[in-house]
Amino acid sequence: MAAEGSDPDEALLTGVGRGDPAAVRQLLDRRLPRVLALARRMLNDAGEAEDVAQETFLRAWKQARSWRPGGARFDTWLHRVALNLCYDRLRRRRDVTMAQPPEQIDTGPAPDAGLLGADLSRRVETALAALPERQREAIVLCHHQGLGNIEAAALMGVTVEALEGLLGRGRRALRASLADLAQRGR
Amino acid sequence: MTEHGLSPERFQALAETYGGDIARWPELCREQARALLAHDPEGLGAILAEASDLDHLLDLAPAGAVNAALLGRLIAAAPQPAGSARRWIAGLGAALGLGVAALAGVTAGVALGRAERPDRAKTEVIAAGFDTPDLYDALEEAGAI
Repeated sequence: MAAEGSDPDEALLTGVGRGDPAAVRQLLDRRLPRVLALARRMLNDAGEAEDVAQETFLRAWKQARSWRPGGARFDTWLHRVALNLCYDRLRRRRDVTMAQPPEQIDTGPAPDAGLLGADLSRRVETALAALPERQREAIVLCHHQGLGNIEAAALMGVTVEALEGLLGRGRRALRASLADLAQRGR
Repeated sequence: MTEHGLSPERFQALAETYGGDIARWPELCREQARALLAHDPEGLGAILAEASDLDHLLDLAPAGAVNAALLGRLIAAAPQPAGSARRWIAGLGAALGLGVAALAGVTAGVALGRAERPDRAKTEVIAAGFDTPDLYDALEEAGAI
């Protein structure tokens, strides 16, 4: 899963640069869900995630004609752009939060929380959102996006050891806040 | 370190870091981890099972679904074939040419203080830079001249 080998998106990008509609559609089918999922889990907001995904691909379209093979993989480039857009939005949220502190988020079980379905999904999403940003980012990149540790660390601008620290702390915090669900699942 | 090259403590730390699926651990550790697991399937298997519980919960975090409107917007904004770009530019040129010519006509009319039918040759000169051979006819049809 390291950033080595040929870029599986290279041929499609060439097609996109030529204005081939089939290549555009295929590239979107392949990569848009990943970018949307990354943004959704980083931002915990469906609308904002959609905005980030749209802006990421609009930038990709601008780059398509001048894309140079042999550099960063397109998927890595997409992650970099989407993450930067997420950081911008998270930074703006912090500015608002400092001016207007929000209510404390309760990541514990609701009194009548169901065991399955949307409630369970919401519990996990809330617990993930409650993590410090860098821990959440490490988990989203490694677990959800399936990136290797070297690629994820490079994207985050940290060493692999630092990434492992973020992953370990994040997973410990999640295990604690979701302990009741993990025990029920056994 | 053990004869398998990986200590049980490091095995546990890797499970708590990367989850319960050894295939998702750093490549260099995988073979040693599988060898160690084969040596103690019960004890180390329990560590993996506990880590997998959290993995399964994490998988439930919503990923969002691609909706048709977003897809449509991105397809519409994607690069177009070179031919269609030329057609688009020609269309824009025609629209600009029409606007410029209309403005020129109004300006001339005001300056002369009377409704004067512009010279076809002059209008064609204005339109020449915008690839709009039928500009004069279009202006006439629109009642601009």
